[in-house]
Amino acid sequence: MASYDSDEEIDYSTDPDWSHITPLPQDDGENPLAQIAYHPDYVVAMSYLRGVMAVNDHSPQVLKLTADIIGMNAAHYTVWGYRFKTLMALEASNSLEGEKANWSWRKELDWVQSIAKQYEKNYQIWHHRQLIIDHLNDPTGERERTNEMFASDSKNYHVWTYRQWLVKRFSLFDKEELDTMELLLKEDVRNNSAWNHRYFITLGRLGIESPPEGVIDREVKFAKDAILTAPQNPSPWNYLKAVLRKGNINVVSLVDFCGQFAPIDSEDDISSSHALDVLSEIYDQTGDLGKAEQALMLLAAKYDPVRKNYWRYRKRLLGSGESVPVASEKAPAVHATV
Amino acid sequence: MSTSSSSVAFTNKPEELFVEKHVRYIQSLDTRKDEFEYWLTEHLRLNGVYWGLTALHLLNNPTALPRDETIKFVQSCQHPSGGFGAHPDHDAHLLYTLSAIQILAMVDALDSVDTAATVTYVAGLQKPSGVFAGDEWGEEDTRFVYTALQTLKILGRLEAVDVQKAVGFVLACQNYDGGFGVVPGAESHSGQIFTCLGVLSLTNSLDRLSPASKDQLAGWLAQRQLPNGGLNGRPEKLEDVCYSWWVLSSLAMLGKLHWIDQNKLVGWILSCQDEVRGGFADRKGNAVDVFHTVFALCGLSLVGWGGLAEVDPVYCMPVETTKRLFGPK
Repeated sequence: MASYDSDEEIDYSTDPDWSHITPLPQDDGENPLAQIAYHPDYVVAMSYLRGVMAVNDHSPQVLKLTADIIGMNAAHYTVWGYRFKTLMALEASNSLEGEKANWSWRKELDWVQSIAKQYEKNYQIWHHRQLIIDHLNDPTGERERTNEMFASDSKNYHVWTYRQWLVKRFSLFDKEELDTMELLLKEDVRNNSAWNHRYFITLGRLGIESPPEGVIDREVKFAKDAILTAPQNPSPWNYLKAVLRKGNINVVSLVDFCGQFAPIDSEDDISSSHALDVLSEIYDQTGDLGKAEQALMLLAAKYDPVRKNYWRYRKRLLGSGESVPVASEKAPAVHATV
Repeated sequence: MSTSSSSVAFTNKPEELFVEKHVRYIQSLDTRKDEFEYWLTEHLRLNGVYWGLTALHLLNNPTALPRDETIKFVQSCQHPSGGFGAHPDHDAHLLYTLSAIQILAMVDALDSVDTAATVTYVAGLQKPSGVFAGDEWGEEDTRFVYTALQTLKILGRLEAVDVQKAVGFVLACQNYDGGFGVVPGAESHSGQIFTCLGVLSLTNSLDRLSPASKDQLAGWLAQRQLPNGGLNGRPEKLEDVCYSWWVLSSLAMLGKLHWIDQNKLVGWILSCQDEVRGGFADRKGNAVDVFHTVFALCGLSLVGWGGLAEVDPVYCMPVETTKRLFGPK
């Protein structure tokens, strides 16, 4: 586990690069709750980090030191912060790509990617990357980097958050983005992260603005096609309902579509609890309360009994005009808030 | 963090909660400092003390950790800025600042640190959009809105920040499926939903969500229950004991705890305990840790498991503590 990711191991006590730094041991005092028996390599590296931080040293070898520590403990947020400060200081003095540091932002991004692949659950890495790309003001290659991450975990929340930041920061609401979501959903139609991102790039970013011509129809078709391949998948159903709301299209228009997955008079042929759910909404709106109740009772008794209390609650709302629970559509456009 | 290779003994009698063993497990954490995982999780140390202490309170063993040493450790993590780091060696961050204040609230020792400085530190992290950055590096996340506002609420200083803007930011994070994410547009996630509902609850702003939108959100949360009884954090993900807290506390804040099958959930949570060494794992068969232990106990407490102290769904502290701080509800 305690592997080093820097190119070579550093012997801080004999390396002349480090002779000007006084290592500062951790001061735990007498406090037994805080005393920890660390790995000896980690203790040495951390004592040198304290040493450089004490004198605010941002010389090139700090890059090696911080890489050394991050290789042992990638979640140490203080180290990431000091590394970024050092990179900025080296750039400011025109020495980042100099002979001594022999580094570049591009090398840094490659190195960060290799660490990200090792520590998929880590979020400091993605914030570090975001600070760099924001500073460079250039997203070139970044979507490819996140795609590489999706290849091993297509639902990685930190990577998706970074991807959305990238799209917002550089206005990448474009065909490439849409095509990527189409590809990810082709690979796994149950990937809720990709559904969420698709909504974000097609409709979510618009706030209260009206969608461009044809987008609503295209997205309705996209969601329906996905439901046909996996009727019990909740993500495209949520997506479909959201698209209809955005387009001011009444859910009643889905009556035939839902009917094919939930013929309520032929119980054994029902293949989607979500279709039953939507049908109950439709019948409630059209005043067909008997059928609406039948759909909800099928859910409570047979197709989703774990949540029978929820379905009973929905039954009590029938006929009240409040039976279609939805989030408000008052959310402002993303650019206004971030 | 499943780095332990030691074997785990999981119970086949899921009707029993091994209270004594869980108490001993938490006490033993502090004596495992020679183990590799212990220093690897140093960046979580102050959180760890909070998780362990909360668990011990719920297990009705609030004094099982030494109070004086606990206070001293928290004091040693405070920076001159007023914020707290995870450990004396780490920078200040909102995540640890809240844990520090919660620990001191639970042991009734808020006067042992410079809380005026803490208020200044927290207030300084609010951004023009209303969101809070976690620390000086500027990462923004609805989690940090929650940690900031809870810290200030405990200290009785909510007026030190722009609460309405913070609430506005949280509301902008609600998605088409009813849930909330880290920032506007980010995917709904049960953990983030807990923090967003927490913000709305502790600022008395829950009514900013329409009744229909609350129902949609509670319906989405109830959908997190899988046929085996466990809860997941997002659609099509695996169940995990920690969601017994994030999902349940959210349902509790919405008054819809009964929308899931509580008996099935209890059975599933109990199946994740190590009946020999104590502690809970994320799911049956994995190594236990203090994070999953506290959230398993919090979940059991919320559904009223006998013998556990009551937990407050908004603050994730014993009701006894929040009553002392804020008076009865």
